[in-house]
Amino acid sequence: MIQINELTKIYKLTKKQMMEQKTNKKMMKAVDGISLISRPGEIYGLLGPNGAGKTTVLRCIATLLKPTQGEISVCGFDTVKESEQVRKRIGFLTNEIKLDPQFSPKYMFTFFGKLHGLDDKIIDERREELFSYFGIKDFEDKKIDELSSGMKQKASIAVSLVHDPEVIIFDEPTTGLDIVTARNVTEYLKLMRDKGKTVIISTHIMTEAEKLCDRIGIIIKGNLVLEGTLDEILSNTNTRDLEDAFFELYKIHNKEGE
Amino acid sequence: MEGTKNIIKKELTRVFTDKKMIVSLFILPGILIMVMYTIMGKLISNLEKDIEEHIPTVYIQNAPEDFIEIINYVDYKGHITYLNSADETKAIRDGILTGDIDLLVVFDEGFRETINNYKEAGDPIPEVKTYYNPSEEYSSAARSEFIGSVLNAYQQVLLTERLGNVEQIQVFYIDREPESSVIVDEDRASGKYLSMLLPFLINIMLFQGAMGLGTDAITGEKERGTLASMLLSPIKRSEIVFGKLTSLGILTGISAIIYVISVVIGLQNLSGGGMGEMTSIRFTPIEIIQLLLILIILVYLYVSMVCLVAVYARTQKEAGTYVTPLYILVMLGSIMTMFSAGADKGLQYYAIPVYNGTVAIQKLLLGELTMAQFGITVGTLAAATLIITSFIIKAFNNERVMFNA
Repeated sequence: MIQINELTKIYKLTKKQMMEQKTNKKMMKAVDGISLISRPGEIYGLLGPNGAGKTTVLRCIATLLKPTQGEISVCGFDTVKESEQVRKRIGFLTNEIKLDPQFSPKYMFTFFGKLHGLDDKIIDERREELFSYFGIKDFEDKKIDELSSGMKQKASIAVSLVHDPEVIIFDEPTTGLDIVTARNVTEYLKLMRDKGKTVIISTHIMTEAEKLCDRIGIIIKGNLVLEGTLDEILSNTNTRDLEDAFFELYKIHNKEGE
Repeated sequence: MEGTKNIIKKELTRVFTDKKMIVSLFILPGILIMVMYTIMGKLISNLEKDIEEHIPTVYIQNAPEDFIEIINYVDYKGHITYLNSADETKAIRDGILTGDIDLLVVFDEGFRETINNYKEAGDPIPEVKTYYNPSEEYSSAARSEFIGSVLNAYQQVLLTERLGNVEQIQVFYIDREPESSVIVDEDRASGKYLSMLLPFLINIMLFQGAMGLGTDAITGEKERGTLASMLLSPIKRSEIVFGKLTSLGILTGISAIIYVISVVIGLQNLSGGGMGEMTSIRFTPIEIIQLLLILIILVYLYVSMVCLVAVYARTQKEAGTYVTPLYILVMLGSIMTMFSAGADKGLQYYAIPVYNGTVAIQKLLLGELTMAQFGITVGTLAAATLIITSFIIKAFNNERVMFNA
């Protein structure tokens, strides 16, 4: 279970960043008072355009960033005060976090298993299960440096799940994957949901959100503008598919504050 | 501690399973240092040999006849041209200036008569004047060889002729066997020689090792996004920092040992085996422990200094730029000790980090390090290391530093 309560995240901008973003504001509000709950046995999808604040929310849940205001609890543990306890219970996948290219997927899997305090027997069992599910076995001893981007992504997913976490946080999990592997990953996430895990993902792919997510939260400019099941969102916006619904909302909320 | 142990193991595996890394970190620099010093040694010994083998061009004006006999008698090797008093020597002196001619020796006119006519104190004494060029190796060597083997012999002959018994003016000898009069503690003597160079080298090599490894292990990993994956594991940030520092310390230590050994081998070649006494330095067990402790803390200090800079740098290039001033600082601290080997310093000097490490190693090689000096050195180095480490841990907890957030 993830509970986010009035989360606000403000970044201080350096002069260089201010120039890059062509702004003279010293602060940037990436997330503005978001509250949401992601429950066990459901897949929650954060949907939004690039720069909407999806990754920031996920990074705050994963304890990598501290909220400027508000608080987040994961399985009852506060992400700031009990960050180690939180990290024990989450599997976090994001594009910017990578595995050491010098090592093989097998070595990395064992290494992170040990950092999670697992013993060799359990690590072996988990590896057997995840590597065969994601088809990593053929290249498990190759250096990550020599793998294709799809293979790397598969290895990253497997490593992030080494400790069989209660909460799975995947930031754009299918980006860079071919259609077969992407389906493989979404199927695995459904399997995890059915096992009662809490799953939260971010995506900007509408069909992925439609097919995979039990509940969807639409984020625009750091605000959670609408939340609900697909049907609820469609009826609320009076549209026929998620893409139309998204643009309805985007038209209204992207203007605000300009 | 489990986390730290696992990280150390991983970091060491990373280096030791990568052939390229082993070659570029350990083997290549070692070979380069050795080759560099060996070539330098070869060049120096070639130069010495060349001077030794050079046959000097010597002009002698007004040479007395018995002097020519002496030259033949001592078998002096040189291209000798004898001049009369009427001959002009200006061209010869110009030749010495340009290095074409090595030596001009001018006897006073009537040299032999003046000597023969000497009766009592106050009578004139003739002069032999030499013209040479001290900035020309050949010329200097030719002069000292000429004075040593020819003029001194000639003087002895003339003295014997005048006095009959040269012992009359000898009165007493000083050191007939110079070797037997040398009383020296071999350890201290070679220690003194080493104590000038070795602490400087150790310091520089340690920092150099830390520099290359540290920026890659911290900034490089940050850049590649692999450090973040470690930050996601349920271990304390301090465990990651200690794991990184310890593994870097081990690697830096190994590379420093290899570098120092290469330098010693190279220097041995350089001085044609003259540094052989190096191996004669003996430490007491306590001194060995002291040396190890100082070295371990120094390694930790340097590694932490580099890591602190590396953790704040966004790119490895940036880290390289930031670390250079530190390198210069360490160099300065080491050079300062190089020319004051053996000089006594107040205890307060042992509280200056970096500098104190070098001085302490220096004193240890001389066998002069007191417990108080040792204690203060180790204490301040450890304190400095701890302070820097706490800053690194703080930086690891700072999302702005770690994620540019």
